[in-house]
Amino acid sequence: MTEKTHDPVTFDIIQNALEAVADEMFVAQRKTSMSAIIYEVLDLGTGICDAAGEIAASGAGIPAFVGVLDKAVKRIIEKHPPETIQPGDLFASNDPYWGGVTHLNDMILAMPVFAEGRIVAWTANIAHWNDVGGNVPGSMSSEATEIFQEGVRIPAVKLIEAGRPNQAVFDILYVNTRLPDYLRGDLWAGIAGVRIGERRILELVEKYGADTFTAAIDDFMELGERRARAALKTMPKGTFTFEEEQDDGAIHKIIIEVTDEHFSVDLRDNPDQKGSSNSSREGVEIAAQLAFKAVADAQAPGNGGFFRPLKVITRPSSIFHVVEPGALGYYSEVEIRLFDLILRCLATHFPGLVPAGNFASICGTVVGGKHPDTGRHYTIVEPQLGGWGAWNGRDGNAAIFSGFHGETFNCPAEVAEARYGLTVDHMALNPAQGGEGEFRGGKGISVHYRVRANDNFLSVGYTRSRMPPWGVAGGRDGTPNYVEVLRPGKAPERYSFGTNIPLNRDDVVHVVTGVGGGYGDPKKRARNAIAEDLRHGYLTPERARTVYGYDE
Amino acid sequence: MGDTILRIATDVGGTFTDLVYFETDLSTGKQTIRTAKSDTTPPNFEQGVLNVLDKAGVPLSQADFFAHGTTVVINALTERKGARTALLTTKGFRDTLEIARGNRPDFFNLMYEKPAPFVERYLRREIPGRVDYRGQEMQPLDLSGLPAILEDFKAEQVQAIAICFLHAYANPAHEQAVAAEIRRLWPEVSVVSSHQITREWREYERSSTAVLSAYVQPAAERYLARLETGLTDKGYKGRLYVMQSNCGVDSFESTRAIPITMVESGPASGFWGAAELGRIIGEPNVLALDIGGTTAKCSLIENGQVRIKTDYWIERDRKSSGYPIMVPVVDLVEIGNGGGSIAWVDDFQKLHVGPKSAGALPGPAAYGRGGTQATTTDANLALGRISADYFCGGTVAADMAAVDAALADVARKLDVSPIEAARGIIRIANSNMVNALKLVSLNRGYDPRDFTLVAFGGGGAMHAVGLGQELGVKKVVVPRGASVFSAWGMMMSDLRRDYFVTRLMDETDLAGLNGLIAETVDHAVAQFAAEHVEPGKVAVEPFLKVRYRNQEHSVEVPVAADGLDTEAVARMIEAFHAIYEKEYTYRLDAPVEIVGLHLIARAEVGKLEIVALPVTGLTLDQAIKGRRPVDYATEGVHEATIYDAEKLEPGMTFSGPAIIEDPGTTIVIHPKNRVSIDAFGNTHIEIRG
Repeated sequence: MTEKTHDPVTFDIIQNALEAVADEMFVAQRKTSMSAIIYEVLDLGTGICDAAGEIAASGAGIPAFVGVLDKAVKRIIEKHPPETIQPGDLFASNDPYWGGVTHLNDMILAMPVFAEGRIVAWTANIAHWNDVGGNVPGSMSSEATEIFQEGVRIPAVKLIEAGRPNQAVFDILYVNTRLPDYLRGDLWAGIAGVRIGERRILELVEKYGADTFTAAIDDFMELGERRARAALKTMPKGTFTFEEEQDDGAIHKIIIEVTDEHFSVDLRDNPDQKGSSNSSREGVEIAAQLAFKAVADAQAPGNGGFFRPLKVITRPSSIFHVVEPGALGYYSEVEIRLFDLILRCLATHFPGLVPAGNFASICGTVVGGKHPDTGRHYTIVEPQLGGWGAWNGRDGNAAIFSGFHGETFNCPAEVAEARYGLTVDHMALNPAQGGEGEFRGGKGISVHYRVRANDNFLSVGYTRSRMPPWGVAGGRDGTPNYVEVLRPGKAPERYSFGTNIPLNRDDVVHVVTGVGGGYGDPKKRARNAIAEDLRHGYLTPERARTVYGYDE
Repeated sequence: MGDTILRIATDVGGTFTDLVYFETDLSTGKQTIRTAKSDTTPPNFEQGVLNVLDKAGVPLSQADFFAHGTTVVINALTERKGARTALLTTKGFRDTLEIARGNRPDFFNLMYEKPAPFVERYLRREIPGRVDYRGQEMQPLDLSGLPAILEDFKAEQVQAIAICFLHAYANPAHEQAVAAEIRRLWPEVSVVSSHQITREWREYERSSTAVLSAYVQPAAERYLARLETGLTDKGYKGRLYVMQSNCGVDSFESTRAIPITMVESGPASGFWGAAELGRIIGEPNVLALDIGGTTAKCSLIENGQVRIKTDYWIERDRKSSGYPIMVPVVDLVEIGNGGGSIAWVDDFQKLHVGPKSAGALPGPAAYGRGGTQATTTDANLALGRISADYFCGGTVAADMAAVDAALADVARKLDVSPIEAARGIIRIANSNMVNALKLVSLNRGYDPRDFTLVAFGGGGAMHAVGLGQELGVKKVVVPRGASVFSAWGMMMSDLRRDYFVTRLMDETDLAGLNGLIAETVDHAVAQFAAEHVEPGKVAVEPFLKVRYRNQEHSVEVPVAADGLDTEAVARMIEAFHAIYEKEYTYRLDAPVEIVGLHLIARAEVGKLEIVALPVTGLTLDQAIKGRRPVDYATEGVHEATIYDAEKLEPGMTFSGPAIIEDPGTTIVIHPKNRVSIDAFGNTHIEIRG
């Protein structure tokens, strides 16, 4: 038996407890948030970082938020000298140029946990706020060119100092939003969340001692790293390149290098930053982390240790590394394009390693205006469900959130009708044909929101709107994502990006999300599977004939 | 006879059908408990119940009370052995069941598999007609297409039809009209509408609820009918009750109409028992823990009240989004950690316990039936916590060689000694259970230090003290007859129904509030009247579901049933702020709105009267079986005194380290714990140190 300095079971118990604390923070914040996008869509993430800001544990929620909190905490530590940080402090940042990573709508709150006179951990959370000011309601504009147009910037400042609220910051926040009630509720929900985390960690430290506690976190990071390195060993090695045309004609290029030691993603040869579809370098790292995790070991702890073998190379002033004062409202579409590009590059070189392409867009949809019955202002901010790609042995999933959203819930029609005063004419699977293969892609959705009052508005940010989800190994491509505005007596207007599109009584917003890509030659699809697809109306007889050669 | 009262509880489990009966001699007050067990008999489950009654020789014609719990519903769901089911829904929404909520709990996994709907697409059909969220008809119902749809269903051999229409929680007229028309056109088919089960919003959850209910209905209906006939044939003349998931019992008759309410009937009776026990021993705040062979379940009881929610899902975990069932279910957390849970070491030298279980076959290695993987029970044996000589109450000779071999395997993978491995298994299992207990307490804003831990089930007592110490609870109580405690709970239950109604209102809408309460109370009283319960015997407790405007998750605030005035509303709002702050740590100066009502209605059906355990004058020494070294994991090895539970009497007190052995369970008492036996024979353990 080898000598161990600490008891491994104690480490396990502390590590399990950290995840339980992150989950508890998540539950607490979810339950108290004011905005549907937080409590219902769960556009929210919680986490615990070590003293240096490395992520140790994350609460359930959005995978794309898992890697955000560490980067924010590191920036807070960088900005604030240790002697200025004290127990009871609580920091806020929403500014991607100050550790905010994503866009100004996402507010990060972080709190140091002190024990035995030193910081032993940080608790942190991130949540999407409906409105933080800026040019347009909802704050995200596809037409923004500078961050100043996107809302109030909170550059990693102390919101609470030693337990005392810094009222100035609260006041500034309250006046810089179109929805102060929501902001206030969401802010306090977030504060309660990090405070609960702090309390729980203090209990752990009290029980096990600060040294054992921090040693357990270090051990957890090492476990993450060991699992990542073990996975790397089993992956195909080499340098793999891929380039892909985007909806707007731009070409995105990637070079992936896999060795026994690292997984590197080179993104230097990509377009210059422009408009609001840009990502911070940290945001790009998160997209790469997600793809790496999915491919390497989806079940491993998603902690800082796991991501150590990952390297990302970017070029400042490009869409994958925006510099000040570039706008980032639709950063998420840039990140998800990269996530999808990494998977597609690997799938092209190694068919079967990952499923065929999915609808791969957040499909951010914002509708707002006055509730026709109550007269109160409402804003819906919603990602959409879509179709996922098939893999060898299984058809793709129908109607689930993109790879960036995980334990996220769509808004029920009954809730939308009551809360927003819209009429949902239908919420159905998208009947579009595509994504055929030996295994076929899953269906996206088709939803009709009928507006009941004048002076409503719509903003959208969809990609994969012209270039569809990709098939693999002979499987067909899927179908695109888009929004149509249907006005009585007028021809449909089709959008992928749009800001503040006016909507009036009886106008219909038709949300359409893509069918996922197929896997394998459609001619090899089992006849009974085709017959089932026909019976269920997933497939038309015409298409069965032309694509599957099925004529029975 | 008249001089004794005989109460019977039966419980159909996955493997065994259990019988417990309590006989109370009215002249002496003496209570006798007898138990029997026989095989569960799928698919004719009623036969197992009749068998066990025969086996025990219960004089059914003299029985006064018969309560029945069953896992038939949950098993039909998880084993996919229900009826061929179709769904009728609002035009434009047949895909609701397949779209579900779009969530993906296993979110890094690109090959996540979304659960398949219980009704395939071609059996989901649409009917035109719309009602809005306020219950007003926007478009009349058009039944012209229904006959053709029903013909299709017949051709497809559909056995059950679920109906779920948009906003039927606010106005069920369209659902009622469709159901009536189906009964007219096709009286043989089983039909259930969403509004019969739930009056809450969210169309996916309601559709899923209606579908799962329809799916189990024909079999459950048949089973309850046959059981009733069987019992009547055997001469039973009393009323028959079925344990429900909301900790109450309900009549066979109403359960047959909506059998899905039985889905968690097993755990519910135990938790109700814990609440009742708490009242009897003066501990109204209870953390209840039920450890069986494959799982541990826990629930929190505050002020003698169980928490009932409708946010219940089956097959939901970190790997799957599962299926919602919007029925009143006791708020519980269940984890895959029981006596038979298998310990295993992953590729990265991490030790795990569960959720896989050795089950009844092969069972733990100690059973000597070929089990080679170490379980929690094996670890308990190796550490001397369970006696190898009194395994399963002395009915099974523990195969210690198999235990040692199984533990040696875990130890080798972990690079530790077998005893270290056994300690590790106990500590990991305890850590899993502590996290579950924290979910029902700390995560809901309760401090475990204000609670008494009541532990039952075959494995509860083995771990309870360790868990209680970890959580810092006031004390631990192990009820007398802990292994049949669930049956005891069943006999203590009221006839109870929980009504949840969604209705958005401002707090200023007095007429609306009073209307909602009065209408729901009237509905409840009428339903009880149909069960031959007079209005005066029905106790009602309304709770408004209140939140800050625009929030989603509401908290329940108790109000009076007999009409609210402005002052009462003001008190309710103040109470809301306080309850909210307790659960969420802050309050807001923001407008408040009412989202709906939760009404509890209950009537007593003649509970078991609990009587004191007689004191015969046995001394404590006479209860001592011996001494042996017991490994308390982190607290080291101590020489423990072993007591025979059947010889412990009220008033006896002693200190740990000790072990109390009962034929059904073993209580592990840690060093410094102070033990006392109360008047009813329950074991109280004060946690010291």
